[in-house]
Amino acid sequence: MSDQQVFAGALLAAEPSCPPGLTAWNGSDPGRRFAIYRNNVVVSLIDALADTYPVTQELVGEEFFRAMARLFIQANPPRSRMLAFYGDRLADFIEGFPPAAAVSYLADVARLEMLRVSAYHAADAVPLTPAEIAPLLEDEAALPTARIGLHPSLKVLFSRHAVVSLWAAHQTTDVTRALAAVDSDVAEVALVLRVGLDVEISRIAAGAAVFITGLEQGIAFGRAAEQALAADDAFDLAATLGLLIRGGAITTMIIPRSATS
Amino acid sequence: MNKTLTAASLALALGAALTVAAAPVAAADEKMAMEKEHCYGVALKGKNDCKAGAGTSCAGTSKVDYQGNAWTAVPTGSCEKTVSKTSPTGYGQLKEFKAKMAG
Repeated sequence: MSDQQVFAGALLAAEPSCPPGLTAWNGSDPGRRFAIYRNNVVVSLIDALADTYPVTQELVGEEFFRAMARLFIQANPPRSRMLAFYGDRLADFIEGFPPAAAVSYLADVARLEMLRVSAYHAADAVPLTPAEIAPLLEDEAALPTARIGLHPSLKVLFSRHAVVSLWAAHQTTDVTRALAAVDSDVAEVALVLRVGLDVEISRIAAGAAVFITGLEQGIAFGRAAEQALAADDAFDLAATLGLLIRGGAITTMIIPRSATS
Repeated sequence: MNKTLTAASLALALGAALTVAAAPVAAADEKMAMEKEHCYGVALKGKNDCKAGAGTSCAGTSKVDYQGNAWTAVPTGSCEKTVSKTSPTGYGQLKEFKAKMAG
């Protein structure tokens, strides 16, 4: 191992130790100085996770969260210079973390919080205005073949838990009261979308989720709508399109040339 | 069951969506204008800062004392206030961790 690897390993190791060969310019104890640096590294990473996952932390308390974060950091050192996306695997870690098993929805809440950060940093894209979409109605027969491109920030999260309601309850001033009205065992689908500079989270119906996921996969408009209707009798296409258009989520809508002939 | 949607029904839904969406367009335009002022430097707060601030022993020991087994302590979060049908108490639980960890 190189000196650098030894040094980096000692920074994140579970037990404090000082890499051999360190000296201080003024003759002070290098072990003590290294411990300060080590603590800085770990605490700053824990703080970064706490910034990204505020609701996850509130759900289990600061003490639990920070202890869990420390173990996560030891197993998952940063792989990128960008701290903003650090901890994108925390949800997976939580799923395999026995002490958190009783809080079955914790991993999905963490997933939602990471999607918020990703949406915040996603690329800009100019949404289509209703006036730009309207001409597509002129070629009704070709409409089912249209490909609808969605905003880069848009993400759909399927959860077996009330992930949106749990998250939303923590945005209120009286969290305890808001939580009392939430049944965490109700499955919910979250739509994450940045509108302007604000990341918005909304709960969408199962059919809408299937439709949007289909579009994300590049499936044609008509086929995506059929899949949604097959999955959910109550699928409301007009309402779903309205939601997407209002949120500026539709960035391209193209009818393939071959279909128009 | 194979459900099909006619081109006409797709057009109808899209037309309805466009009508509904027409009203808030002005607001969307305002947001677009704001977007031109994107300042990436103000993104997620404090990510690169030393939280303890200048003049303090930034490393300090204030947070170093969190033990790896801190979940054995009583949690202060909202988990236990969150309704859970599958939980014997009717709420999310963390207390049983203590038993689990000791075992």
